[in-house]
Amino acid sequence: MALLEVRGLVKRFLGVTAVDQVDLSVEPGELVSLIGPNGSGKTTLFNCVTGYLAADGGRVLFRGRELTNAPPHRVARLGVARTFQQVSVFPRLSALDNLLVFLQQHQEERLLARLLRTPRVRRLESEAVARARRLLELVGLAAKADAAAGSLSYGQRKLLAFAGALMPDPDLLLLDEPAAAVNPTMINEMKAHILALHRQGKTVVLVEHNMDVVMDISQRVVVLDHGQKIAEGPPSAIRRDPRVIEAYFGR
Amino acid sequence: MRRAGWLALGALAVAAPWLIAAGVPRQQRYVLHVLIFTALFAALALSYDLVVGHVGSLSLAHPAFFGIGAYTAGILATSARWPFVADVPAAGLAAAVVAALVGVPLFRLAEHAFAVGTLGLALVASVVANNWVEVTRGPLCITGIPKPRLGPLSVTTLPAQYWLALAALAGVVLLYRGLTTFRLGRAFHAVRDNEPLAGAAGIDPLKYRLLAFTIAAGLAGGIGALYVHYLSVMCPEEMTVGLTVNLLVIVFLGGVGSLRGVLVGAVLFTTLPEVLRVAPTWRLVIYGALLLLVVVRSPGGLEGLLRRPRVR
Repeated sequence: MALLEVRGLVKRFLGVTAVDQVDLSVEPGELVSLIGPNGSGKTTLFNCVTGYLAADGGRVLFRGRELTNAPPHRVARLGVARTFQQVSVFPRLSALDNLLVFLQQHQEERLLARLLRTPRVRRLESEAVARARRLLELVGLAAKADAAAGSLSYGQRKLLAFAGALMPDPDLLLLDEPAAAVNPTMINEMKAHILALHRQGKTVVLVEHNMDVVMDISQRVVVLDHGQKIAEGPPSAIRRDPRVIEAYFGR
Repeated sequence: MRRAGWLALGALAVAAPWLIAAGVPRQQRYVLHVLIFTALFAALALSYDLVVGHVGSLSLAHPAFFGIGAYTAGILATSARWPFVADVPAAGLAAAVVAALVGVPLFRLAEHAFAVGTLGLALVASVVANNWVEVTRGPLCITGIPKPRLGPLSVTTLPAQYWLALAALAGVVLLYRGLTTFRLGRAFHAVRDNEPLAGAAGIDPLKYRLLAFTIAAGLAGGIGALYVHYLSVMCPEEMTVGLTVNLLVIVFLGGVGSLRGVLVGAVLFTTLPEVLRVAPTWRLVIYGALLLLVVVRSPGGLEGLLRRPRVR
């Protein structure tokens, strides 16, 4: 069974069909890239899958469970993590707290237990702190643990947001342009992180404009143009696909 | 060190009636009266800051919840002869229930619309207090509200009422600390700082906003009850929009989202107008000028001036 199944998804904005009958199926452990010219509907598709936009038609299934138009927090708690194109952090929280936020809601606890800080909640918290510190280490931000996220550089915030998405150990990771607007060193670093996740068996869907990154690491590439899926296949085939070349460069 | 500071401050606050009796015996009643007001205002401002400072929703409805609590307690204590220990929680509950009910539609409104919606609620509550004469007695006020009784203990003397107000403030401070730190605080702040991202972190923004709003309203209702038991009257003027202005001054000029800032703000902006009575003509001019000074010199509130630069 596919981990993520999108069937005939439709999203319209004031008469413009941003996503037009798109089918997408992602198997467990796959690394899939979603590409297409600007305005082709990639991010809109992400937003519909993760509950940020209500779809006008079609269905989204995760592990066979209905996810169509579930609110973002429910999608997240079912094990779907996402990052945002615009770097998105909690600016006034410390880097460490930014990561902790991403795990705590996945841990079932009553509000009163949280207020009274029962031993169980304290234990979960210290486990979360340990995991957050490991992830900060992984993305090279260990020294910034106590710094306000808003004070970090653009690239650092991008890495922090990425680490946040990893905090709950999600089953499916949707990354929206992880390599955009960062320097070449960091692009390579991001690439390495994504490949490492893939090797650990994580399922990753990537929206990305950087063709080197896409062609380098994806197992499968899905191409959108004007909201429609125009091609799908391994990177080598996509590179030569005349429809893709036309969509990008025109006739 | 920090804990020692808070303890010293607490001890000073508890000992205040004796210090005042020794220091300014002729003004004792007046000074204690100002201190009771300060304690109640500080508690009210902290409850308000839960919404404004920690989930970042600019509610202007706080006087409505304060008033609902005040009227509930006043009416129950006079017409139904409820004991103090029962009417205070009932007042808090009444305000919290109203907040939970109106909160669901209000939080559907985006930032400014939310502020206007809550302002509407405050105005409606004020109109109801003035005109629902059968219940609130309108401008004739609810009078003869008895002094608080805690079991066999009657809280009638001014120092005893001060200690009661201080105990209420201490309770609100503890609850405020519990709610605004650790996991709950983190979730509140996540919603405040970046709502879409909070959703991606599995937080239901509406749930946390409603939680803060409802708890804040419940506290405001309880404080309203204490207030009318102290004054023994409740009139519609106590819950006008003017109260919102005072709360906004305390919270924003004190330090929004900061326990210390709000406490400093409450002490300063409740006692200052009283202290300035030495210059009656210029009182409000000086007060206004000082407010301006704080806004210009420290836009983050007095808290910004208190904070020592952090060494990393």
